[in-house]
Amino acid sequence: MPGVGSPGREAGRVEASPGVESVVVIDDDYAMRLSCEQALAKAGYQVETFGDGAGGLEAVGRAHPGLVVVDLKMPGLSGLEVIARLQAIDPTITIIVITGYATIGTAVDAMKAGAYDFLPKPFLPDELRLIVRRGFERRHLQLASRQCELDRELERRRFVTFVSHQLKTPLVAVHQYLDVLRQLGDTPEAAARRAEWLDRCLVRTDELRRLIDDWLTLAQLEGGTLGRERVPLDLCEIVRSVTAHYEVLADQEGVTIAVETPDAPSTVHGDRTCLGVLVDNLVANAIKYNRRGGQVVVHTENGRGEVVLEIRDTGLGIPADALPRLFDDFFRIRRRGARPIEGTGLGLPICRRIATEHGGVIEVESTDGSGSTFRVRLPAAGHAGGAHP
Amino acid sequence: MPATDARSGTKTILVIDDDPDFTAAIRSVLEHEGYAVVEARSGAEGLEKLRAHEPDLVVLDVMMESSTEGYGVSETIKYSEQYRAFDSTPIIMVSSIHESPDERYPRAPEVDMIRPDRYLTKPLDIPAFLEIVRKTLHR
Repeated sequence: MPGVGSPGREAGRVEASPGVESVVVIDDDYAMRLSCEQALAKAGYQVETFGDGAGGLEAVGRAHPGLVVVDLKMPGLSGLEVIARLQAIDPTITIIVITGYATIGTAVDAMKAGAYDFLPKPFLPDELRLIVRRGFERRHLQLASRQCELDRELERRRFVTFVSHQLKTPLVAVHQYLDVLRQLGDTPEAAARRAEWLDRCLVRTDELRRLIDDWLTLAQLEGGTLGRERVPLDLCEIVRSVTAHYEVLADQEGVTIAVETPDAPSTVHGDRTCLGVLVDNLVANAIKYNRRGGQVVVHTENGRGEVVLEIRDTGLGIPADALPRLFDDFFRIRRRGARPIEGTGLGLPICRRIATEHGGVIEVESTDGSGSTFRVRLPAAGHAGGAHP
Repeated sequence: MPATDARSGTKTILVIDDDPDFTAAIRSVLEHEGYAVVEARSGAEGLEKLRAHEPDLVVLDVMMESSTEGYGVSETIKYSEQYRAFDSTPIIMVSSIHESPDERYPRAPEVDMIRPDRYLTKPLDIPAFLEIVRKTLHR
């Protein structure tokens, strides 16, 4: 795989050089240049000094130092002009102004123009070193936070690209079938395939509809417009109603469902619709990814301060390398050569979201080829947040 | 790579795409035009079939199991020592994302290594696609 996937790759040049920090000093006073150079070189900085703004700007454009120390009152380019041009060359550059007491007002202007700090003349070498060190510290923080922002923006863009790809895929298939049928016209090829392809178009439009539904559910869960209700509910009752709904499908697939519930109700505080969706998705998966003659056990148990729901199947299981990504949006397990099982890849992310919203967790244990167990732990009513240790 | 069956003159096109419906549709128009079509559902299967069938052209999807799987396949075909015999096999990259690798990874030096011969957006405009296939095969 090419390395193009690594974040920040296209983010432009933002670097804090790990080696020696370099400083450019611009001051028309030779003695001042010399003492600045000595003070900073002693602290390990690489220093270049210039007697006028033009020379300093040229050096900044060439060597990209992290920090510039600039005198405000110079013949030729004024300090303020130098500051403006420095920022045009490198908006991230850190600028420290050195100035005599007479120009404090201008120093304030310089700060407003974007200088980081100012140091009144005369100053001690230690004072210069301290202010330069602080300037570099702030600069590193700024660069790191800018990099974070760029990475986040990149991540967001990738996600938008990814979601639109997922939504477009079924649409593209349908469009391509219809377009090809039109192109083939009355040929025997078209006649032979028309019925089969129209069926596929219906299957794919249905897939698109489910994708949009699931995506909407997830967005509503995240936006907090779904699942806000918190009423006492008996989870066993939800389990019984969901499993009753799946009896016919399970029968068709040759799978038996066993429901194991405790004698006492398993009361949780929650949203009936959401918990219904959670149980529904897990039971549907346990049937869908099972085999003929297989079994699904839906087991509810009242633990210490929590209600534990386990959905165990004797199905295909989950390959170990897929487990870490199982709850990622749109993730699907692909088995080469196997009959593809329809699904949006959003069912488990929805389940996880619902469990989390209810203060609970969802876990999975599986051995590839020999079934999976999904375990949901929700705080028992009166024990809000109890599922988190 | 002398992929063409010399006797029949039939050109072989390898379509690497994880969507069986898209592939079925494209396959039938290509076959209607007299091309032989080989399908692969993943990058890895695509590379196996590349070796086995020595196609004259590869039609390659980008986002398969991973978001950049097609890029990896393209780079492998063009630059890997192992597939050196196929480095001049033309590749038409197809994706539903309206972004070529250049747009998706501006300034990334690796883009040169994944840049396909053509980049087309799905759904394919069939007459335009067939014209590009014809030109690519007879250049």
